[in-house]
Amino acid sequence: VTHDALVRFGRALRDEGLPVGTDRIEAFCGAAAALAPDDLYWAGRLTLVGRPHELEAYDRVFRAFFGGSPAAPERARVRVQLDVALEEDAGLASRTELLRQKDFASLSPEELAELAALMERVRLGVPRRRSRRRAPARGGDADLRRTLRRSLRTGGEPVERLFRERRRRPRRLVLVLDVSGSMADYSRALVLFAHAALRGDRRWEAFCFGTRLTRVTRSLATRDPDEALRRTAAEVADWEGGTRIGESLQRFLDDHGHRGLARGAVVVICSDGLDVGDPELLRAQAARLSRLAHAVVWLNPLKGDPRYEPLARGMAAALPYIDVFVSGHNLASLEAFGTELARL
Amino acid sequence: VPFGSVDEVEQALRRESYLPDRGLATAVYLALKLQRPLLLEGEAGVGKTEVAKTLARILEAELVRLQCYEGIDVAQALYEWDYARQLLYVRSLQAGELDPTERMRELYGPEFLLERPLLRAIRAGAGAVLLIDELDRADDEFEAFLLELLGEFAVTLPEIGTIAAVDPPAVIVTSNRTRELHDALKRRCLYHWIDFPELEREVAIVRTRAPEVDERLAFSVARAVGELRALDLVKPPGVAEAIDWARALAALGADEAVGDAARTTLGWAVKNHEDLERAAESLR
Repeated sequence: VTHDALVRFGRALRDEGLPVGTDRIEAFCGAAAALAPDDLYWAGRLTLVGRPHELEAYDRVFRAFFGGSPAAPERARVRVQLDVALEEDAGLASRTELLRQKDFASLSPEELAELAALMERVRLGVPRRRSRRRAPARGGDADLRRTLRRSLRTGGEPVERLFRERRRRPRRLVLVLDVSGSMADYSRALVLFAHAALRGDRRWEAFCFGTRLTRVTRSLATRDPDEALRRTAAEVADWEGGTRIGESLQRFLDDHGHRGLARGAVVVICSDGLDVGDPELLRAQAARLSRLAHAVVWLNPLKGDPRYEPLARGMAAALPYIDVFVSGHNLASLEAFGTELARL
Repeated sequence: VPFGSVDEVEQALRRESYLPDRGLATAVYLALKLQRPLLLEGEAGVGKTEVAKTLARILEAELVRLQCYEGIDVAQALYEWDYARQLLYVRSLQAGELDPTERMRELYGPEFLLERPLLRAIRAGAGAVLLIDELDRADDEFEAFLLELLGEFAVTLPEIGTIAAVDPPAVIVTSNRTRELHDALKRRCLYHWIDFPELEREVAIVRTRAPEVDERLAFSVARAVGELRALDLVKPPGVAEAIDWARALAALGADEAVGDAARTTLGWAVKNHEDLERAAESLR
């Protein structure tokens, strides 16, 4: 195998979406040189792959390059259009107020674009927890390091005593959004909400689900809400499809939540709770979640209707494990929720 | 480099009762040969930490372990001054000193320096295997700091100066994937995903680690554990659990992981309440 072939192999992986830079290709060539030709597979796997889910693509490209050649399947992509220019309007203040109160389900595409701009101002306060790290404070434990430093000014006599205290850090926020068919009227607005919310802290995460779960934190990590919406819709394969809340929640807990993502976090589920699956599964998963998380919040747009009662079997099963149950069907209710959150 | 080929690494690990697959042996060989840190990921209990311990024994090097946790900082990972002793020293010097500058230097001398794992590993150089365990638990800032350190293998202490490793130590980083590590860090490392071992290798691992377990029981446990892993449990049993379970069954005099003996000892393999019920049903 020539050096040239190794470089082309690295490039082919890059075309598959693996983050293979020149430094990785260099490392690959170094590894290949250090190993017997039979171990070429491992030379590449150890240097060009950085995540378990990249292994499948790696194996496929490796087979195509150095033996066998299965074609890559083309995945159907969902497109969402939100390229509507904002109208100049004189009565902007009253329009804004109207928009804040308007149910997401009745928004026109123009209004949705306006909403995106308003959403950017939404800031979520989350409850705090004590971290292990300490910071200077007025009281608390003696801070010997700073006391000693300070004492040098006074001839080694610790005249001024300094203290430190455990820092309080905001808890992690995890958003789990239902983007199935029954939520179609709300999902775009909720993704915009997630986009705005996630800018508050870079450790916060967002997931979308219909019949399966997709982590969309990376897709949302862009400044432009329009772009975020497009990327998220493209990432989520089952956008506006069926709903399996129980299974999706289980996936979330198994793959992410149980490993630490949900531990001590504030988990916000946005869903109408209309699930044809086994309510017992949803009940069990909601129970698991409530044991892991600091607080579980359920935003259900149907609750915006005063006549709504949580009778859907899935919703009823999950309800005992929910700390806060609010509507989130328009911007005003999301804003109210944002301020309430900090008190949990 | 202490090894001439991947096969030699494989044999050395085997001699120390660690049965690696080809990928892991290759990873260890390359990490030593190219002097790169090795990042190991995989389910809990597949033996990530054990790799470092075994490697330290093989190389006859000191194992320096840094257990990461949320909020870990330089004072716990790299070095700290022994402030209490420094304070006492200053107090004892108080009565009429001759040369304050000289005394100041003494105050930040090696006798007051508390060495934490990273500094220890840098000083020991090739005489150490540095294990940075569960890096995903530390926060991002710490990861950035580590990135610099792993690149240079040198550290500057403001009061003393720069300390650099002549030959860098072997570095093994583990992560349980509670969060994604930064690409910048991954690029500096060789990356290996450790899977659960296949049936035959698991039987061999159980037999090596628990010699009192006979072939038939080991096979039965490995097969049962394999089936449990296929159940999609919250916490699938790892290799360590398989070994514990086999030991427990052997202590009870069981020949196979079936029936009442398996059910009463199942807690060694499955450690989550919801999982236990489903697991018990699946047993033969």
